[in-house]
Amino acid sequence: MSVGFIGAGQLAFALARGFTAAGVLAAHKITASSPDTDLPTVSGLRKMGVNFTVSNKDTVKSSDVLFLAVKPPIIPFILEEVGPDIEARHIVVSCAAGVTISSIEKKLSTFCPTPKVIRCMTNTPVIVREGATVYATGTHADVEDGKLLEQLMASVGFCTEVEEDLIDAVTGLSGSGPAYAFTALDALADGGVKMGLPRRLAVRLGAQALLGAAKMLLESEQHPGQLKDNVCSPGGATIHALHFLESGGFRSLLINAVEASCIRTRELQHLADQEKISPAAIKKTLLDKVKLESPSLSVASASKVSLFTNRSTSSKKN
Amino acid sequence: GKVPASSILASAPSDKNLDAWRESGCRTTHCNLEVLQESTLVFLATKPHILPGVLQEIRPAVGPHHIVVSLAAGVTLQTLQRFLPAGTKVLRLMPNLPCVVQAGAMVFARGSGAGDGEAALLKNLLSSCGLCEEVPESYINIHTGLSGSGVAYVYLFAEALAEGAVKMGMPSGLASRIAAQTLLGAAKMMLETGEHPAKLRGDVCTPGGTTIHALHQLEKGALRATVMNAVEVATNRACSVAKD
Repeated sequence: MSVGFIGAGQLAFALARGFTAAGVLAAHKITASSPDTDLPTVSGLRKMGVNFTVSNKDTVKSSDVLFLAVKPPIIPFILEEVGPDIEARHIVVSCAAGVTISSIEKKLSTFCPTPKVIRCMTNTPVIVREGATVYATGTHADVEDGKLLEQLMASVGFCTEVEEDLIDAVTGLSGSGPAYAFTALDALADGGVKMGLPRRLAVRLGAQALLGAAKMLLESEQHPGQLKDNVCSPGGATIHALHFLESGGFRSLLINAVEASCIRTRELQHLADQEKISPAAIKKTLLDKVKLESPSLSVASASKVSLFTNRSTSSKKN
Repeated sequence: GKVPASSILASAPSDKNLDAWRESGCRTTHCNLEVLQESTLVFLATKPHILPGVLQEIRPAVGPHHIVVSLAAGVTLQTLQRFLPAGTKVLRLMPNLPCVVQAGAMVFARGSGAGDGEAALLKNLLSSCGLCEEVPESYINIHTGLSGSGVAYVYLFAEALAEGAVKMGMPSGLASRIAAQTLLGAAKMMLETGEHPAKLRGDVCTPGGTTIHALHQLEKGALRATVMNAVEVATNRACSVAKD
């Protein structure tokens, strides 16, 4: 089985690194493409032994499983460009936040009658094989196609199938989640440094504490509230600290964060679907490249680009 | 029904409150010493500032067979033992208001003269009024902050719940009764299942449903921290009052 990545940025790099480290895929069976060869991740991919090309079409031709690992506004351009090369055998996996299966199927159906599309939401810790991934299968993707993706993603962390309408919530929780954790860890380290620890040690200990706590929770039957109680001896240090967290509205901040990320994802999807996105939002080099490859797609210099025509807002079939 | 009313003797300087006792079938007197002479288990239920005077008064009549239980807030076992003969079996009890409806929460601590037998006797007797647990004396002030005053926090919460319902269109009498029953039911589930309240809370929250939206509001208002503050303040107040 060969895997291709349209896009050679953080996500492609993380997944390629994860797959090769897990041993499910040899580097030479992976192809990644991007018009931008200056990305730091490009040299990383090359060093891994991944086949790098500037031609998205080449990636499509040499892959069975095709990951769309570009930013959401780029997706429609990609689909226009590689659409003609998509065959029934391809499994197209979109990792783009907020981009619905039906929008992708709609776009591809002008080229291929029954495109296999799977939508997935993963996160950056796939790079160390502790990713959190969910996926939803499209109209023409079979159970086996889903299982194939699940096997791939399970090699780099936790992976499970969900209903498509939950994916935005997953984005808010585990998609953005690592950023919340990095912020917390930075602050925890600051606390350690304030109380006298050297920075490197503070970072190391803070990260290990969160890692250990997460592992305890995953391996325990107990509710996190109970696990928290187990750490808090009466009148001790921890309960005093927790009181500070509660006073600061720690819990509600986290709830707010997940909610905001989820809502923003939906907003971006809505913007992409209903309105037009300015070409200024897309890098000039990419636009030029696309113009060269697909003369049928014209981009007026001052006007906006319509991304999708006649698209419906319905999500996965129930 | 643990003790027949006729076996209970209560004393007070005036008849002001004694009528109520007599009505339930208890015997009454104006003489404190008589209570000591007629009873084995003696509860000291005066206001704290009166207690030292009472202790001095009854001291001659206190014997090794007596079990003395003080309900006075802030009066320590050390103080009680100082005023009574050496070796007297002294215990200190802190109840809360719902003992009246036999749903109280009580803690007690033993003095140096009181043994397992006395502790068991007291616990057995008081279980008729609710939950009764033996604790180290240092927990008694915490109990005040948590459960003695805590009853008032619950009344406040119940009032707020009902007010919310009234705002949404429900008559206040009905809202109040439902609020009370909700608290009662939730508390009963906690006590009977023994499950962690966080787990019970999660069980009520359907994804994206009404409860989780409401809980978010409570978290935004830092309700948890506010309640922790209340318990802390009340406990500290109990400690400082005791020192006076």
